[in-house]
Amino acid sequence: MAKARKSRGESMLLRYLVLGGWALVCLLPILWFLSIGFRPRTEVITPQPIYWPTFSLDAWHLLMSDWPIAKYLRNSVIAVAGSVVIDLMLAIPAAYALARYEFKGREDIGFYILSTRMMAPAIVAVPIFFLFKTLGLLDSVWALMLIYAAINLSLVTWIIRSYMLDIPKELEDAARTDGAGDLTILREIIVPACLPGIITAAVIAAIFAINEFLFTLLIASTSNAYTMSVALANFTGGSDGIIYNAIALVSFIAFVPILILVILIQKHLSRGLTMGAVKG
Amino acid sequence: MRTDAPSVPAKGVAQAIPKPAPRRRSPALRRAFPYILLAPALAYLLVITLYPGLFAIYQSLFVVKFLTWEWTGFGNYSAILQDREFWAALGNTALIGAISLTLQTVIALAIAYFAYRDPFIRGWRIVYLMPMLFMPSAVAFIWKLAFNDGRVISDLLGRLGLIEGNIDWLGSIPLARLTLIVADVWQWTPFLFIIFVAALQGQDQEIEEAARLDGASWPSIFWNISLPMMRPVIVVAITLRGIDITTMFTNVFVMTQGTPGGATETMSYFIYRQGFRMFNFGYASAASVLMLILTVIIAQTVVKRAFHSGKK
Repeated sequence: MAKARKSRGESMLLRYLVLGGWALVCLLPILWFLSIGFRPRTEVITPQPIYWPTFSLDAWHLLMSDWPIAKYLRNSVIAVAGSVVIDLMLAIPAAYALARYEFKGREDIGFYILSTRMMAPAIVAVPIFFLFKTLGLLDSVWALMLIYAAINLSLVTWIIRSYMLDIPKELEDAARTDGAGDLTILREIIVPACLPGIITAAVIAAIFAINEFLFTLLIASTSNAYTMSVALANFTGGSDGIIYNAIALVSFIAFVPILILVILIQKHLSRGLTMGAVKG
Repeated sequence: MRTDAPSVPAKGVAQAIPKPAPRRRSPALRRAFPYILLAPALAYLLVITLYPGLFAIYQSLFVVKFLTWEWTGFGNYSAILQDREFWAALGNTALIGAISLTLQTVIALAIAYFAYRDPFIRGWRIVYLMPMLFMPSAVAFIWKLAFNDGRVISDLLGRLGLIEGNIDWLGSIPLARLTLIVADVWQWTPFLFIIFVAALQGQDQEIEEAARLDGASWPSIFWNISLPMMRPVIVVAITLRGIDITTMFTNVFVMTQGTPGGATETMSYFIYRQGFRMFNFGYASAASVLMLILTVIIAQTVVKRAFHSGKK
């Protein structure tokens, strides 16, 4: 007994050293980057790093005057929200079929959908570029919406499928004996019952879409279709060099809503990130 | 309905409980129904994966110079297989990916093990999550500034007395690779952590408790009990993270652009550079096809198995 207590005490000290240490590793770069966003440009790149800068809203004024931040934000929101809507419309019926029906090729089709998640963006980048060029969709928010939807479709389908598998069959059977058709059951029973899964899938898909970089870089060639993620690279060109304080500020503008979304679905996060394979 | 059944009582029952007649579908439609539900999603994915795959195979057989396509057969492939830059990119991707993935897994396992029974787990989880919630392009800039442009890391190491003066992180092959690894580990360890914590919280506490009462030390509990129980989850998580690491692009694009001398060029960056910087589209497509073949092999072997064990 005494021995057990002792080893426990030691591991408590070790525990808080490890946990506290990693918390610092996570937080210090973020706090320092936040301080970059609120300092004058002259204090960003200096021979000696400055840890206690003077407070300044330079970056904020730059964003408001020189940089069409409203437009980039709007592009991001339209492309991301649109892609999530497309995903849900395609994924909910597909997930229902995979979760509830016996049919030939079910395993293979399910795995094919999963495997599209593994495709490196770079593999399809060249063909997709030519495809959208032919369609006249280069440099448009709609093209980004279609791409984001494609990237996340596998993930959304698998997450929703996993939650549908958890719904007791009796619920549907009762409705079926009452004469409800399959689509009615899907709409009236299945969708409400797996709503947490649908929301989780939507949030994770939205985060991946906000973060997407390579396709956006290729497809958005002017500010017409720039999203927040790629517009950051905008601060790097030109004679001014990299305008880090503005980059930092934009990063936090995108970070805050994502943080709020993730806190809302915290309990479902592990399940969502593993496409339903791990139940949290 | 059986024809020899007495018709009167049956009618009586039907009248007593009026029910809407179940909608009848032809057997053919019933059988086709799941496929109909799947069709839109599958069509969408086929357009976005199969079409590009076929296009890449076709284009890889040509030398493409802007608008002219000149047939070359397997010329691009034989050139690529002798291209040292291609093999270097493949090697860099594997090396940087393997080191980065190993570090992430070890760190995530350690902090997950210490955190999951902690009373402040909700707080820890939010703090540890934060790096993952920044846009990858933003994270790349954070570390570009910290390592190169702002010299913060050099300065901090100097204050600790570990080094003197300023380190040129992009001047040396291992150091340049290290910057990519640090950025990736910092941003994506949370991904594994979240999954591992959930797995640890979900597992049977009684076995651990029993071992503890028997006087087993925590490292031995971790090695002999927790780790084996988590195995399927670890496999799934590492597989997903491994796939993403092999596609590493944003950090390379922002932080190193492949320098020094191509030592940090990943496969994704190689394809991007061939296609969109040098406009060698046929060549880039050939590289894409080779990478696609690799992906399919890995998907069919590792991933299929991982997801089967994960589902149980």
